[in-house]
Amino acid sequence: MTARMRPFAGPVTGAVALIVVAAAAMLLAGASPIAGFAALLRGALGGPHQVSETLVQTTSLLFPSLAVAFAFRAGLFNIGAEGQLVMGGLCAGLAGAALAVPGWVAIPLILFAGAAGGAAWGGVAGVLRARFGGNEVIATLMLNIIAALLANYLVVGPLHAPDATGAETSELPRSSWLPLLLPDSRLSVALLFGIALAVSLAYVFRSTAFGYALRAAGDAPEAARRAGIDLRRTALVAMALSGAIAGFGGATIVAGVLHRFNVALSPGYGFIAIAVALVGGLDPLWILVASFAFGILQSGSLSMQAYAHVPKDVVTFVEGLAILALATRRFVAPRTAGT
Amino acid sequence: MDSFAGFVSLSLVKATPLVFAALAGTICERAGILNIALEGALTVGAFAAVAVSFATGSPVLGLFAAVLAGIALCALLGIAATRFGVDQIVAGTGLNLLAAGGTAFGLVVVFGQPGASPEVHALGAGGEKALIVAAFVAAFVLQAVLDRTPWGLRVRACGENPRAVRSAGVDPRRVRVTATVVAGALAGIGGAFLSLGELDIYSDGMTAGRGFIALAAVIFGRWTPLGAAGAALAFGALSALQFVLQRAGVPSELMQALPYLAALAALTGIVGRARAPAADGVPLDERPAHIGRMAKGSVENRGD
Repeated sequence: MTARMRPFAGPVTGAVALIVVAAAAMLLAGASPIAGFAALLRGALGGPHQVSETLVQTTSLLFPSLAVAFAFRAGLFNIGAEGQLVMGGLCAGLAGAALAVPGWVAIPLILFAGAAGGAAWGGVAGVLRARFGGNEVIATLMLNIIAALLANYLVVGPLHAPDATGAETSELPRSSWLPLLLPDSRLSVALLFGIALAVSLAYVFRSTAFGYALRAAGDAPEAARRAGIDLRRTALVAMALSGAIAGFGGATIVAGVLHRFNVALSPGYGFIAIAVALVGGLDPLWILVASFAFGILQSGSLSMQAYAHVPKDVVTFVEGLAILALATRRFVAPRTAGT
Repeated sequence: MDSFAGFVSLSLVKATPLVFAALAGTICERAGILNIALEGALTVGAFAAVAVSFATGSPVLGLFAAVLAGIALCALLGIAATRFGVDQIVAGTGLNLLAAGGTAFGLVVVFGQPGASPEVHALGAGGEKALIVAAFVAAFVLQAVLDRTPWGLRVRACGENPRAVRSAGVDPRRVRVTATVVAGALAGIGGAFLSLGELDIYSDGMTAGRGFIALAAVIFGRWTPLGAAGAALAFGALSALQFVLQRAGVPSELMQALPYLAALAALTGIVGRARAPAADGVPLDERPAHIGRMAKGSVENRGD
């Protein structure tokens, strides 16, 4: 796998370049880069509360990033993690608000509903690809927007909750909230689920026949086909599972952070996830590290804006730049022929 | 929008930025570049137009700035994809984030306020009409250029079989980059139409997914400029119709989702067979699917 990646050289050079660009942007905004970075780091790591918020962001980024990497490893471009995350969150929110059962029953069901919603959404793109040869890039892009519109329609319209103040579902009963890792924080056990998933995926990729088939379909589709791997089935399964991972992530935001589904659930986690997955070299364990790094950016950006007067959007800009710099096909799984 | 004439004119206004962006998408895809960054190109075009009109007081200069901004963004995609081995799809996604972050940041730097710019000198009713006409003229011109000029032939060849182009002594990298430059100019104008034609301000997120609707229009228009423009016009009419049907109780989200649903339907090929250029989205050093890969089980008919 080309993305076995010199784990250090590329990312370090890239990180230095991005820091320089960010510093230049801060100067442009009339702020001192030192003050800017200091405010960013203080906002992200300056105390127990800040660290816990950074880990909340890390968790929210981790699931879609693993989803993106999962599809990429199979040679599929899942640009739709955002939509799958939203659909997962929507299904989890609707299930959670409707379920009046004890937490130990409700929580697994809520998380399952999220994974199922994401899998269905990813599966649509998978079916289009496997059955009709439709380009999954276009399909997932379209599905992102359809997901946002559908979620908005449902929670504002037919499924409008009486206690909702915005475009959101009812609040989940307290017993259905994910247990917290730290008291008085928003950091839930979802982080542990994410770490467990990253470790399992690393194992699946490295040591199982299924992981091998996925990688073979991504790296050398022709050889994989001749070796008897069903490329269509692999594409369908990979898209559905990728969607399930992102959807599960949406469910953890609902059950762990917001305690209801809100249409503003994601500030673009599904797109930032592409940067995270690339920085992590599509390796689940490095993606853990990359998610933390991007978590720092996400959670520190507001404090940077408040205290150093650097617009928080610098972070989005730098994330876009990171994708551009790391999108060389050495890093990205080579595309399957016909993609 | 009670009168039919009103409906037609609103449709044209809604369609125009889509037409520009869809033409941009068509020319890129015919050359073999799947341009996901159209949304970003509309965004930077809309922003640059307002920023320059604000700075100079001249909306015409703003329009030029939009063209340059669109070219800069799209050419970055073209150059990165052909010279630096960057994956088109991933790079396009990065450019969209870059454009969103850069313009939101730029709002604060240029205008000193987040969210939206103050009102600036706009192109006015005359300018707006001129751009509407220009969009449709551009569709006919682009169709003729693709069908009847040597450059058009090279573009089409690049989208089908870049190796053959190289064998004929033409550098396919150059052709693809040129296509992204033309696309950037068109998308930039589309962006300027949004901010300086239809309105007189720039606000965050004002492109609202039009770059993605344009990609849908390209598929629906079967990768021809006139087809894409026609699809864009239909999508524009749909968004004008939204105001009418919303009063009749049709959910606005459904109307907004129709172009995207139509694109998904088009991907199945059920709505009518259409084939994407064989090398659409395929890097220059890789072989398009149809060459040496005709075995069964392979993906023969890509919707795009």
